[in-house]
Amino acid sequence: MSLAKFLLRRFFQGIFVLWGVVTVMFGLRALSPGDPVNLIAGQVPDQATRDQIRQDLGLDQPMYVQYLDYLGDLLTGSLGYSYNQRRAVNDIVVQHFAATVELAVAATIVAIVIAIPLGVVSATRRNQPADYGATLGSLVGISTPNFWLGLMLILLLAEGAGLFPTSGRSVAFHEGVISLVTTGSPSDLLEWLRYIILPAVTLGTYFTALITRLTRSGMIDELGKPYVAATEAKGLPNVLIRYKHVLRNTLIPIVTVLGLQLGTLMGGAVITEEVFNWPGLGQMFITSLRNGDWPVVQGIVLFIAVAFVVINIFVDALYARLDPQVMDE
Amino acid sequence: MCGAYKDTVDRRDVLRYTGAAVTTAGLASFAGCIGNGDDDDDTGDGEGGDIEMDSLTITQGEFPDVEDPNDHITGPYFNVYDHVYEPLFDVTPGEEPNPRVVESWDHGDDGTVELTIRDDVVFHQGQQLVAEDIAFTLERQIDPEVPPVSDQVAGLGSIEGAEAIDETTLELSYSGAPQLAEFEFGNYLRALSQEWYESDAPTVDGVISGDDEEAFNGTGPFQVVEYNPAQNRIVMEPFDDYWGEVPSINELIFEGETSDSGRVSSLLADETNLIDNVLPDDVGEVEASGDARIEQVTSFRNIFLPMKNEVEPFDSQEFRQAMNYAVDNQEIIDEVLSGFGEAMSQPVPPGINGYNPDLDPYPHDLEEAEALVEEAGYTEDDPAEITLTAPEGRYLNDADVGRRAADQIDQLPNVECDVDIVPFDVVSDAASAGPDDEEIPFFLIGWGVITGDADYGMVGFFHEDGGVQTFQDEELQSELEATQVEEDPDTREAMLQDVNELAREKAPWVFLHLQESIYGLDEDIQWDAREDESIYVWEMD
Repeated sequence: MSLAKFLLRRFFQGIFVLWGVVTVMFGLRALSPGDPVNLIAGQVPDQATRDQIRQDLGLDQPMYVQYLDYLGDLLTGSLGYSYNQRRAVNDIVVQHFAATVELAVAATIVAIVIAIPLGVVSATRRNQPADYGATLGSLVGISTPNFWLGLMLILLLAEGAGLFPTSGRSVAFHEGVISLVTTGSPSDLLEWLRYIILPAVTLGTYFTALITRLTRSGMIDELGKPYVAATEAKGLPNVLIRYKHVLRNTLIPIVTVLGLQLGTLMGGAVITEEVFNWPGLGQMFITSLRNGDWPVVQGIVLFIAVAFVVINIFVDALYARLDPQVMDE
Repeated sequence: MCGAYKDTVDRRDVLRYTGAAVTTAGLASFAGCIGNGDDDDDTGDGEGGDIEMDSLTITQGEFPDVEDPNDHITGPYFNVYDHVYEPLFDVTPGEEPNPRVVESWDHGDDGTVELTIRDDVVFHQGQQLVAEDIAFTLERQIDPEVPPVSDQVAGLGSIEGAEAIDETTLELSYSGAPQLAEFEFGNYLRALSQEWYESDAPTVDGVISGDDEEAFNGTGPFQVVEYNPAQNRIVMEPFDDYWGEVPSINELIFEGETSDSGRVSSLLADETNLIDNVLPDDVGEVEASGDARIEQVTSFRNIFLPMKNEVEPFDSQEFRQAMNYAVDNQEIIDEVLSGFGEAMSQPVPPGINGYNPDLDPYPHDLEEAEALVEEAGYTEDDPAEITLTAPEGRYLNDADVGRRAADQIDQLPNVECDVDIVPFDVVSDAASAGPDDEEIPFFLIGWGVITGDADYGMVGFFHEDGGVQTFQDEELQSELEATQVEEDPDTREAMLQDVNELAREKAPWVFLHLQESIYGLDEDIQWDAREDESIYVWEMD
């Protein structure tokens, strides 16, 4: 199968997945209790006004008509209108998307910086204290719930030691960059860094543990292959063998996992954002869910689903380039 | 106040919008008690407060998600926006309004009141405040044809319209008692510049909506200099052309933090100076910190269990009274709320006009409860089966309060009571579904008596045009209607007290408690928490 055909198939599979997400979310909305008119009209008991609102929102239509209208809006790029915030869902999603991406990318960087060296050390010093330590650390990292870790970090490092802010985000990353470029001062960027470190560590812990274990097992597999013995026989230094040849081959599946996990991190940031009051999509999702603001809930879920599908297709393409056999599987 | 009032009043007009629903029923803000003419700590009209700080940060559990001051009726929103869109009156809960931007008012003899406003009030973006602005603002609030469809209309039930006579004179028309009208217009007038709204304001479908400081233009002592809704943060600075005393705080910041523990952490880490809704469990931590203290007051927010009397078994007065005897509201306060709360005896809290001081809470008496249930026709062999539906996350420990109340009722041998914990909007819908709705006839809800008058605390639930009627009773309804057209304030107050007594006897609700407002703040800030949950910087020292 050609790469183009392979990607086209993946694209249509992705569309089908998104349609499924839209349909399930719409179904949940239809089944959920709560009248959206209450969000807008609130304490206005006048029935004529309430009926007018219902009509304006199209809520007086049969459910299938509402569903088709919603699909039609999506095809034109509109995610709908927030009952509570009185603005387009697109604007809300865009407004909060950057913060979630910042957090997901920062968590990924935390994971890479910690996990890969740790995995290498663990593999090359197998069954030694360093390996046991790394393995135990991974186990703890995988087992630790995000919300608990976040609260502990706040309690110990922010509230207790005063090293970091307890929550929130004072400046956005792009504002920090703009400030650096226009004024030459890195203070805003450093401020952003102070705010993101704890949530990034919280969100990245599970991921760090996962990548550590993947690196370790991949590296052990790779070290057992004949070409390693051959390069050793040639007299190449161990460091060169491990880091130029073995690690590079080990990283191929890890890159795939990194890509896939980036989408997972975006979706999984909900709890971390709530704990740290990080103004991303996750926090907005929770707030909207509490308020019964379904258009925003649907919009955020759909947006994350799209991100997932796009990242998946991208990773598939990358993997197909690296290993053409994948296209035939 | 002066003048006589019209003899005939259209009851329907009065009741058309008076009453309410629940969706966003936070206590709305009342104007602060500055400049009421008393020789207290207040420094007079339009003062900016005595607190001197470079920067003051206030963190609330809710942050406004709309920029339109005429939209929503949520207390924390008013706390932010009242510093920008100042109230036109100073209102002490339960008392009549006092002059602020409105200097004086005279009632006519035909259901009208003439307001005279100051002539030196300007908006932050330069426009002069004129009577037309206030008329425009009021019409915007009460006219369902004009966006936003604002639930603030619920607090303006008797106000029919407004017309500017000249630049500083405005005539409001109302139906019903002048006292009721005053409680309403005293609480709900915060002027918008008509000129700005029609030409410069960022709007979406007629609703002010923007993501920067240009979306705000009030006459208050603070003007918005930075607004970041994505980060739940709004920064204000003193308005140099404010008509009153310019505040001495250089920067006022409001932030939103939904996590209860997060707010406490922020306070203890010196990231904020004042937080709201401290949970009882966190009080000790704040007090032990040494840098912060707790400020608390019993609020005007009632927590209670409505029983829809068009649905069995709640159609029996004996059964409803039995539920009140079965529930030990003091135990709930002591054990579920760590002592933070006050047992309710009637539909409205102390301090509200019409509160009856002679009434006591129902005592906890399981034997009496069992006997009354028996009278209602239910026995141990054939028990009443009911479900209490309670929200989670809306009120202080609400789900636990619901569970405990249901458990206490379930101890009766002739009643089986389950509990169902649901999102708040389910309860909100139940409140609006009518007194004969069988789906959720028994639930937990809270109600803030926004206007400071008992009418607002009862009409919504006890009148057929109330919007959230859960109790259908001709006698109670007609007694309430009579209070709405009584012109003499003293007589009207006595009538409202009688209505409260009648309501206690008829037991439309299980009366639980008045919710405590618990704040954490820097040790060195002097501030007395208000019963109406309002937070005004100008009241801090």
